[in-house]
Amino acid sequence: MSYLSVKQLNKHYGATQIFENIDFSADEGEFVTLLGPSGCGKSTLLRCLAGLTPVDSGQILLQGVDLVPLSPQQRGIGMVFQSYALFPNMSVNDNVAFGLKMQKQSASEILRRVNDALALVELNEFAHRYPHQLSGGQCQRVALARSLVTRPRLLLLDEPLSALDARIRKHLRDQIRRIQQELRLTAIFVTHDQEEALTLSDRVVLMNKGKIVQNSSAEMLYTQPVDAFAAGFIGSYNVLDAREAGILTGRTWRGQVAIRPESIVLVPAGEGIDALIVSHSLLGNVIRYRVRTQGVELLVDVLNRSVGDLHPNGVPIGLQLDISTLCEVA
Amino acid sequence: MSRSENLYHHSVVTLLLIILLLPLAATLVYAFSSQWGSTILPEGFTLKWMAQLWQDPRFLVALGHSLLICFAALLLALVLVLPLMFVIAYYFPQLDSVMNVLILLPFAVPPVVSSVGLLQLYSDGPLALTGTPWILIGCYFTIALPFIYRAITNNMQAIHLRDLMDAAQLLGASTWRAAWLVVLPNLRKGCTIAILLSFSFLIGEFVFANLLVGNRFETLQVYLYNSRNGSGHFTSALVISYFFVVLLLTLVANAVSRDKE
Repeated sequence: MSYLSVKQLNKHYGATQIFENIDFSADEGEFVTLLGPSGCGKSTLLRCLAGLTPVDSGQILLQGVDLVPLSPQQRGIGMVFQSYALFPNMSVNDNVAFGLKMQKQSASEILRRVNDALALVELNEFAHRYPHQLSGGQCQRVALARSLVTRPRLLLLDEPLSALDARIRKHLRDQIRRIQQELRLTAIFVTHDQEEALTLSDRVVLMNKGKIVQNSSAEMLYTQPVDAFAAGFIGSYNVLDAREAGILTGRTWRGQVAIRPESIVLVPAGEGIDALIVSHSLLGNVIRYRVRTQGVELLVDVLNRSVGDLHPNGVPIGLQLDISTLCEVA
Repeated sequence: MSRSENLYHHSVVTLLLIILLLPLAATLVYAFSSQWGSTILPEGFTLKWMAQLWQDPRFLVALGHSLLICFAALLLALVLVLPLMFVIAYYFPQLDSVMNVLILLPFAVPPVVSSVGLLQLYSDGPLALTGTPWILIGCYFTIALPFIYRAITNNMQAIHLRDLMDAAQLLGASTWRAAWLVVLPNLRKGCTIAILLSFSFLIGEFVFANLLVGNRFETLQVYLYNSRNGSGHFTSALVISYFFVVLLLTLVANAVSRDKE
């Protein structure tokens, strides 16, 4: 029996089906990410777990008890929002203490636990500031402390990093993961950013158009996408149809074939499959080439070791494909 | 910015200020001059008019009436509109467009026309309110609505009302507790603006006050109208006093709302 298990969950608004027959589970202490493009139903699913949006049918079992008939107040779930949702009229201290005050804890208990929670996010010296005096990253850390102080059974994070700039985002991402592992929290994280999903999660649930496409570990999702959507959403897979794949590999394929750009090796012209460099772009540690071979355009990623390795546009080159990294997708 | 540009910008602003302030300044000087008729400058200054005004019991009663009616109407508007707006913003956001149209109706009909309608409705029958302060309070309530609704809607949108409510409820607060502790305190700025705007509009309102109630419950503007045949210095003193009262209330409201930040 899993810690959290979601069974046959359905939700529609009017004629629009938001998601249907959602089934997934999470073990205690597991970090599960709901990943998908905007409008795929992942945020609504999260709100349904929290009880902020009612579901049409299905069960949400947390520690074996169905949450569906319970109000948000009774569920014992913490949530972090994209907009931080800090109470602007309260200091950091009062924001974090809010949940404990609602539980009518004693003043000394509140003081102790608020201090612990603020220490966890390294914000003790900001306790008397107001939200408008904090940066975005600090606000989100206060929001995290506020949702953790009540010791929720489940932590929900709704795109908590999306409103932050890149550097803060990475830092906070690592901090969230560290705290989650330290406290052995069961967390459900919603994002549309595949990099965030891959770096943070124990398991990724990939969604599209209200359905679960793939539910697997981050490694499996990256190396073994189940269909063309998964391949296109994770990384920048080259997706070839059966005919193109046949030309390149000399084999017959039944469906579409996905090739990761970094699994193709560039070799000197004359070796491997003949190809031509069309263009290149520098991504930092990686150079991404666009190459053409027999009417097919491919992306090829090469580690950026030295300037000498750079192949200018228009020069002929050889390609080497490792058949084992090719992945047939439905 | 070059020097000549700077000069140009300053002169435009100065000119505008002069145009706006000149009539007020002239009224101010007139209120304090003993005689200002055939000369360019006043012949002498006196506090006579001011003293006469502030010792006139009829003026003090009219001022009291005006303040009473304005505050009663604003209180009624806030007590009714705040919960309504909260319910619309949180439970029925799709009604917002309907409200936007409804809320403009008091401005769609000219006061002279709608006061005739109000007189028809409330002169007899079950609710014979004409001539009592109640009809004016009710009427001012509708005039204040657009100001109050606009200011508070903007405020509600700025604070992410829905997320705040969601967060508070997940932390264990009931809906009404969350509204009271988390939403209401953050609407203070919108409420202050709403009250100031509608107050300064309502205290200067004349058409409804004159047509619906007139001399039976004399307000400041009706009193000013009734004094039109008296001395110009006296009415100037009245106008200046009226400005002064509005200014004072505005300053107090600003100070109070800044205090709590």
